[in-house]
Amino acid sequence: MTRYVMVIDQRRCIGCHSCTVACRTWNKLPLDIVYNPVVTEGAQGTWPNVHKSWQPLLCMHCENPECVPCCPSGASQQDEDGTVWVDPKKCLSCKVCVNACPYGMRDASHLEDRMHRFVRKCTFCRDKRQLDPDAKPYCVETCHQKARIFGDLDDPNSEVSKLIGSVKTERLFEEFGTDPQIYYIPELGGKA
Amino acid sequence: MEISKTSTGLKGLVSPDTVSTEVDIHQDGVTMVKSLCYFCHANCGVLAYVKDGDVIKIEGDPNYTNHGGLCCRGTSALLHVNHPARINHALKRVGAKGEGKWEKVPYDQAIQEVADRLNQIKEESGAEAVASAGGTTRTDDWARRRFLNQFGTPNGFHNALLCWIPTFMAETCVAGWSPFETDLASAKCLILWGMNPGASTLGGMDGYTDLQKNGLKIVVVDPRYSETASKADLWLPLRPGTDAALALAMLHTIIYEGLVDWEFVGEWCDGFEELQEHVAEYTPEWAAPITWLDADQIRQAARLYAMNTPGCIQWGCTWDQIGRASTTGSHAIALMRAVCGNLDVPGGDGMPGPSMGFLTDEEMELNECLPEEQKAKQIGSNKFKLTSWPGYQLISDNAKRTWGKTLPTEWFCEAHGPSVFKAILTGDPYQVRALIVNATNPINSYGDAKMTLAALKKCEFLVVVDYWMTPTALFADYVFPAAGALERPTIVTHYGATDSIMGGRRAMQPKYDRHTDMVFWRKLGLACGQDPANWPWETEEEAYFHILQPLNLPGVECYDDFVDYYRQYYPPLHQNKFKTNGGFWTPSGKVECNSTILRELGYPGMPTYIGCIENEIDTPELAEEYPIVLTTGGGFMPYHHSEHFQMQGIRYLYPDPYFSINPDLAEKLNIAYGDWCWIETRRGRIKMRANVEPEVHPNVVFAPRGWWFPERDGSADLDNPFGCLESNVNVLTSVDDEHCDPMGGSWANRGLMCKVYKCGEYDKEYKKEDTQFSIPGSSSEPGITVMPSDQKLAREPIPFEKPQPAEAVPEGYEWVWQNNSLYQKDTHFRLDESGWLINPRTKGYHDAHTGWRYDAANECLVDDETGKMYTMEREEIVFAAGVRCYPGQAAPFEVPENLTWNVEAGYATLGDLPYVYDPNSGWMLDPDNGAFHDANYGWLYDAATGHLVDESTGKHYDMSYAPVEE
Repeated sequence: MTRYVMVIDQRRCIGCHSCTVACRTWNKLPLDIVYNPVVTEGAQGTWPNVHKSWQPLLCMHCENPECVPCCPSGASQQDEDGTVWVDPKKCLSCKVCVNACPYGMRDASHLEDRMHRFVRKCTFCRDKRQLDPDAKPYCVETCHQKARIFGDLDDPNSEVSKLIGSVKTERLFEEFGTDPQIYYIPELGGKA
Repeated sequence: MEISKTSTGLKGLVSPDTVSTEVDIHQDGVTMVKSLCYFCHANCGVLAYVKDGDVIKIEGDPNYTNHGGLCCRGTSALLHVNHPARINHALKRVGAKGEGKWEKVPYDQAIQEVADRLNQIKEESGAEAVASAGGTTRTDDWARRRFLNQFGTPNGFHNALLCWIPTFMAETCVAGWSPFETDLASAKCLILWGMNPGASTLGGMDGYTDLQKNGLKIVVVDPRYSETASKADLWLPLRPGTDAALALAMLHTIIYEGLVDWEFVGEWCDGFEELQEHVAEYTPEWAAPITWLDADQIRQAARLYAMNTPGCIQWGCTWDQIGRASTTGSHAIALMRAVCGNLDVPGGDGMPGPSMGFLTDEEMELNECLPEEQKAKQIGSNKFKLTSWPGYQLISDNAKRTWGKTLPTEWFCEAHGPSVFKAILTGDPYQVRALIVNATNPINSYGDAKMTLAALKKCEFLVVVDYWMTPTALFADYVFPAAGALERPTIVTHYGATDSIMGGRRAMQPKYDRHTDMVFWRKLGLACGQDPANWPWETEEEAYFHILQPLNLPGVECYDDFVDYYRQYYPPLHQNKFKTNGGFWTPSGKVECNSTILRELGYPGMPTYIGCIENEIDTPELAEEYPIVLTTGGGFMPYHHSEHFQMQGIRYLYPDPYFSINPDLAEKLNIAYGDWCWIETRRGRIKMRANVEPEVHPNVVFAPRGWWFPERDGSADLDNPFGCLESNVNVLTSVDDEHCDPMGGSWANRGLMCKVYKCGEYDKEYKKEDTQFSIPGSSSEPGITVMPSDQKLAREPIPFEKPQPAEAVPEGYEWVWQNNSLYQKDTHFRLDESGWLINPRTKGYHDAHTGWRYDAANECLVDDETGKMYTMEREEIVFAAGVRCYPGQAAPFEVPENLTWNVEAGYATLGDLPYVYDPNSGWMLDPDNGAFHDANYGWLYDAATGHLVDESTGKHYDMSYAPVEE
């Protein structure tokens, strides 16, 4: 079996937004849709004892996604490899899934014709991987800092497996029970 | 920014009927081209996928220094190529200046019209009345200089003075070349001083992060808690603009705590005792109140650097942006490296020197075309000598004497940009009438934006080459469309100052009527009547191949071959060159702690403190009115200089200008996050929104550079076209001569005094009063109050009396006072005590009378130009069939019995046969075809069979003359 996950090494991220722009460029996103923003609270503390970190976000490709079973048309679905995606041909843009996602990681563009709107979200670049099974998502490929690492968690030799097995990682809102599959190595986790 | 439905971001949007948005690069007819990104100096590797002559997709090159990474700008290359706001045709102004009315004209016609006008101006006012402004190094600048030199004007300039050049020149005065190539893999410590690779050169940042994991210690010197500082081991948050004081105090600490590399200093440094005495007063306690750091922090940093050798100090732009204290700081840092023994050693700062293999930019510039009297007219060269002809000449001549090659004049020997703009406005020292602006938007990138805007408006004939309709292009008479990323091949030689080379191919032909800058200068040169023989290359590929050809790389028959098979070239020996060279590349051959070249130019030979232009200690009355320290000029994602504000896919990340202000100060000033505020210096004011964040000191604000608003109608407000002044920090900077670095001429972006206040209800519009210019810069007195010639410098020149030679200097030679040696004028070869000339590149001997090279293997002289060989008596050596002949002499070797010595011809023969005896091989050689013949019978050696053939009978023999049966 294959289970795609992403590890995000916040020790390396410097908030350059390259991933955000690469994603929107190659996935041809409307201007009001961002799949993978990089957020920061800015420098924290009192000058000069400050600290700053950046948190890249994206769909958590949960093991138990809230957004899939709630879909009335069956457009929102999950592949066997864990990829959660929306079939635009089936999507009614009813936005039930948008409300269901606890991470706020999906929406429909308001810049599109209302009749042709559909819910968009990160698909781990499913289209790209369909053309080339070894391909990595654009956000991973473009990252200068190599802060985003993508791979198969079921493969014990993959980089993601090794990282998750060796360094302390965190997941967002684990308490919601969705079993998110984006693993964060926090900023203060030692040298990258 | 408005996001409209007609915006370009929506074009090509996926329709719900198509599931995949993916471009298939594996489809038939797609080829991959190795290209380079062209949006900043890092020039990351890009793989472009091309179908039917069009690039359909790009990605970062995983096998290049960027390891597949591309930043926001690089990723947007295709959007850039196809952006609807790009200029695609040559435009001729038809309305009033700035009105924005244009006529599309064919490119060549526009070139001819421009050329005619330039020639007319040259005839009326001299070639120097034509100047040219450049931007950043994303052009082929040797081509510009090639044009300017042939045209006869010395007034080309870039933003060079804010970016590396003054530092490079000061470092070269100290050690003979800039030690700018860090060898981080073997380094223990790295100082990133005034540099933020986390936002400016991402390709480098990931290397730093990797090495840090392996134990490299990183010190970041930055007043702002930058992206890079957030990953540092030690962060020195100094007061903006006080880098020189910090550098001097660190140098003091290293010397007075005995942390210097004594062995290196003893063997390779000249004048160390003088330096020791000179820096005695610059204690950390002295620097503490200036830099706002603790004395102990300064000591800690100095110890960390000096006790963890080898180590590197990476050059940072800040060094050249502090105004009058700029070169003092970089000079002190140069000495810091030297006394710690970090110059040109493994793990230290490498000094590449000029390229000995491929052609340097200087060899492409035709500097010999510019007459001496024109050099003297270079604007600003009487003031800022280090980076213009006076300093360049000394440094360049020395480089030719020590390296054998030199620096390009582009970048390193330029007119003083702001002084050229002042000359346009004042006619002082003379009227500059025409300006060719290539790849820059001076209103946003040069200092004193209001003055620069006024100069561009007043300029009689303005020509702009650009991608976009910038505020500068708006006032042009002609605008030429520039070809950019993917549309041009790229060659990277770091301003022509290094010995390595990197290359990328052209992925597609330029679209529309766009042309590259080299083609622009070539066409303009030919249209001006320049000799076509001086413009032999029609395309960059041809020119780049010409540059590379001397390397003779196997398999490279054109430039594209080089990219495909090599992509990068590094020469073999790269470190400890000073040891093999027998000295550093200074006039004295040592690291000069008290630089002789600087002294000869009238500058202090050792770094002597001078405060930044506005500070609490030197100008307390000013600090009372403008109590906050402003720092600006730093790079920030996602923009580069004043670019990319048009790109919606990028702009949405950062739609408005934000300046950083500490929460304590913001609270005092009643400013909340996002409030529009005025930032005011004594030269003017601008509007930005507040980013309230403790990333800066409570008395410092950090403002980003470059802002203008391409989405506005430029012609609607010609006082502030495209809002180019409204949020432009260069309204706040000063280019007054006394604020510029007296050596390098750089103006101040850092450490200015300002006040900040919230935009009030009745004071939120940028008004006409806000746009009025003044010389010198002062918002209280608009207009020209002091002529440029009457402006004082920050430091008066120190009189220097050059020693005179004890004996008369022979004709054709010049005497170098530093080492009391004679050098031949044309070749710059040193006249040795032995009476021979010594070539600095090869260390080989040359005959002083003829210049011919001494060939030790053959004990003869060689004229490398003709390839002819001469005896030590300078008589030509004759060859027959490749065998050296001795006509009129007795045989110098033992002639075999069966041969006869032909005295007249000077070689041995066999009977009547026309062959020449070769004493080295023992064979007879046929002068017609070089074939080998046996020396006993004259039989031909047949290599195919290994037999000897008697040509008269056709019989074959083996090597012992036994007949061979057929």
